Amino acid sequence: MILHNYDLFENCYRVRLVASCAEVALELINVDAFPGTEEKSPEYLKLNPMGRLPILEDNALVLRNLSAVLIYVAEQDIDKRFIPDEAKDRARMMDWLGFACDDLAVAVQARAVALLDAAGDVAELRAQARALFRILDDHLTRQSLRGENFVAGDVPSLADLALFPAFALSRDFNLDHDEFPALRLWARRIRLLPGFITMPGIPDYH
Amino acid sequence: MTQTVEVLSQWVPIALSNMIESGTSAGVVAKGAEIVVWRDSSGVAHAWEDRCPHRGMKMSFGFVRGDHITCLYHGWEYDQSGTCQYIPAHPEVEVPKSICVARYGVAEAGGLIWAQLPLGSSESSFAGLPAMEGVKSVYIDASDATVLAVLRKQGCADGDVANVVILERDGATMTIGIQPISSAQCALHITVPEGCAGDVRESILDWSEELRRSIEELEVVT
Ligand code: FES
Repeated sequence: MILHNYDLFENCYRVRLVASCAEVALELINVDAFPGTEEKSPEYLKLNPMGRLPILEDNALVLRNLSAVLIYVAEQDIDKRFIPDEAKDRARMMDWLGFACDDLAVAVQARAVALLDAAGDVAELRAQARALFRILDDHLTRQSLRGENFVAGDVPSLADLALFPAFALSRDFNLDHDEFPALRLWARRIRLLPGFITMPGIPDYH
Repeated sequence: MTQTVEVLSQWVPIALSNMIESGTSAGVVAKGAEIVVWRDSSGVAHAWEDRCPHRGMKMSFGFVRGDHITCLYHGWEYDQSGTCQYIPAHPEVEVPKSICVARYGVAEAGGLIWAQLPLGSSESSFAGLPAMEGVKSVYIDASDATVLAVLRKQGCADGDVANVVILERDGATMTIGIQPISSAQCALHITVPEGCAGDVRESILDWSEELRRSIEELEVVT
């Protein structure tokens, strides 16, 4: 399985993080995305006409949608740790996976504007990301009241792994962690998962 | 008789006790002061100026290792007294005892961590409070005066110490620590008596989210 990767892109890190925690081997092909914009070169546009990373290739299969990529990687886990079996549990997980991949795209964009010269209004994007972090913090407070330590249950799921990078990287676009105590505790639990890896911008405390 | 000029000091709640686990740190702002609150591996809470003596970076970005907190930037390590013990770039050098982080008076009572403001206040012990359990810290984009006025309309009473109010709701007695952050922001640290039922706590969460929403809508209009 090949991941067309750029180390500083949050969405590429999400795939690497899931693969590492799920013990799935990925072959990385590093793309000169910044400042080279290689993902928009004619060769790469053939793989993904949207001109975006990550792209996952498994023989003839080419995936470009973030949640499709994450699900496919997590499915390769021989222990199937991160995708619940039961329909209701899986649906709960998918609900937050959608939040991570769709709604939180504003946080990815805020960071891209702040660090990687992308176009956009960083103050507006930051405000939107903050509102979403509040929703997540409120949700995690309820979860722990119900005895559940993770977003979609009492065990970590794909949704938790997909959500973690946006929070962990938010200081890159000047959104601090002060206001989100429940998110801080949850992020610490994610850090303790076997296979957890960091990326530039996420300090490794060891 | 010596005469000293006493700085008017006060104790301000800066976090719920259960939100600062052993071995973790967090940045907080109280009345404009940037503070790092951290708990060492033996469970003792500390509140220091959020500023590393080396180059002034935030200590709250760092991490706790045993009884020390380490700055993220160049790894300077400080013990519980705030004294620098180790400089990774110069491991052979004995660190001068004068390299210290400024510390706030800190107390833990009523399910809350308290800091004594301002920095350099003469140490005074904090009045004891009954044991309570933290439910949630709610951060609101409005001044503490605005939020307090709304809570008074809902019937809250002053607590036994400053920066605390008591509010009865849905059969629960909440004790709420108020942390003024800036003229545009404050935090409410909501606690309930130990053994308070789960459904009551859930209704408190509903109430707190609604409170935040209604106050912030009001702030936008005015
Ligand atoms: S700024 Fe803290 S070690 Fe350099």
